[in-house]
Amino acid sequence: MRTERRKDGRALRAAVAGMVVLSVIPSFRLSAQHISIGPQVVFGDYREVSSDLQYRGSGIGAKATLEWKKFSADIVLSKVKYKPTSNGTATTEFDASEVDVRLRYYITGPVSGELGFINRKADPEFEAQSVGAVTAGAQMAYLLGPGVRMALHGGLMFGAKYSGGGTTSGLGALQLGLGLTVDALHRRVRVTGDYGFQRFSRKTDDGRGVLPAPIQQSLGRVGFAIAF
Amino acid sequence: MKAQALVTAAILSGTTLAAQTIQNPTLRRAQQAFDNLDYRQALSGGRAALRERLSGFERSRAYELLGFTYSGMDSILKAVDAFKQVVLLEPERTLDPNRTSPKALSAFQVALTQVLVVRQLVVDSVTFVGGQGVVPVRYTVTQPARVVTRVVGGTGAASTSLRIDSTVANGQVNLRWPARLPNGDPVPAGNYTVIVEAAVGQNSFSTSQPIRVSHGTVDTVAHLTSLPGYAELPETEVPPKSWRPLGLALVYTGVALAGTSALSNGDLGSPSLREGGAIGAGIVLAGFIMTLKKPAPQAARGNILHNQLLREQIARRNAEIAQENTRRRQQVALTVAPVARPGGGR
Repeated sequence: MRTERRKDGRALRAAVAGMVVLSVIPSFRLSAQHISIGPQVVFGDYREVSSDLQYRGSGIGAKATLEWKKFSADIVLSKVKYKPTSNGTATTEFDASEVDVRLRYYITGPVSGELGFINRKADPEFEAQSVGAVTAGAQMAYLLGPGVRMALHGGLMFGAKYSGGGTTSGLGALQLGLGLTVDALHRRVRVTGDYGFQRFSRKTDDGRGVLPAPIQQSLGRVGFAIAF
Repeated sequence: MKAQALVTAAILSGTTLAAQTIQNPTLRRAQQAFDNLDYRQALSGGRAALRERLSGFERSRAYELLGFTYSGMDSILKAVDAFKQVVLLEPERTLDPNRTSPKALSAFQVALTQVLVVRQLVVDSVTFVGGQGVVPVRYTVTQPARVVTRVVGGTGAASTSLRIDSTVANGQVNLRWPARLPNGDPVPAGNYTVIVEAAVGQNSFSTSQPIRVSHGTVDTVAHLTSLPGYAELPETEVPPKSWRPLGLALVYTGVALAGTSALSNGDLGSPSLREGGAIGAGIVLAGFIMTLKKPAPQAARGNILHNQLLREQIARRNAEIAQENTRRRQQVALTVAPVARPGGGR
């Protein structure tokens, strides 16, 4: 168990390091596509089962965006150290390492379709639920002004798997997000701000009947990215 | 200096006048008698002058004097005979109808119809691209006759004799000479003579007009950089300021926060709007700044299409001009100009 956790931590650190390395090599160019990559500061709110299990925390993250013709992809990594809030009953803090991948295809006007997956692991493993799901949804993007874009996206999460077991109905797992990107320094640098909300209407059955054990997370991310 | 110039002018004018004025004293006396309406004296003086040695001009004037005198004496047939001699000596001779008596004028016209001459041969000065123009030639033949018009000239291998026209004609004839060789090429540059030969029975008459044909290059057409009446339009335009960015920022943020509230599970307590609020505040701020900021120029699709069509049209026209210029560089501009004629023919 400890070995797996160590592997997860290494993978996240390697990914973050890779992004940081790429972000400081502005000469790295790929023709006919646009890439941006950069670090983010992450802060969030995590709740599970009841209002007593409530956490807040902050951490680091990274976001990479790839655009190619009508396709684009966001790869978001984050690691948040959640600490119990004072008004809850939780006593142990935990780290939540999350990978969020979204592939996007431009459809028409401001609308794009999204498909991806999320995977969040909690460490220590049983302090919070680790979860993985496939996501599908849509994004609406709007250009506020030169180099300033905002986007609103939402969708469902299918096939959610929890480390502690449990199920979610078809429409029980939802996500909602808001994003802002501001180009600076002749589009070489992007200031990014993202908000993501996830709700899993998880239900468990320990033999005494179905019990609701919802999971909910709000995550805010602010950072910058090098574009090339 | 002024006196010298006057003397030079007098000598020059004297030389010119000597060829065109009457020097013979007998003829001058006859002319004087005619002016005094002494027809008998004018008649005898004119006849006497014709027996003397006269220049061609004087001989023509002597016959003309006889023609006027006979007309004044109502001897029309004799007047016509005298005028016939005038026409034969000076085919281009014409009488001023404002200064000539109707009798003399009609006698002169009758005389013109009784002799075969080709008068008033004119070759117009013209410039045209070889093969695409003609040289206007016109003349007047006084009797119905077979008239052959030729162009002769050139030197050496380029010497040529081209028949322009052969026809039975009477009165004024207008011809159009394309200035081309039988193989279609433009005639070489050089001096040529347009010869008009008229023949009826045993009578024949010919006259000529020297011309000079010179070659030049055909002007090429300049390439176009714009089409007249059509200007390129700006491909971007600045949209008017609007509150739309702020409005949309508020809507997007509102939807996100309201969605968070609505989707939050009630069992987990009141939703946390801290994260969404922070990012939403940033978006609203950005929307507000963008609302105050001058809007960025946007592509004007209509203008872009207009410019594209304009550039395509100019490119197409320039391609045509390039083809036209290639053709023109292989062409030759012919300039045909008449040169001074030595005189009529016989």
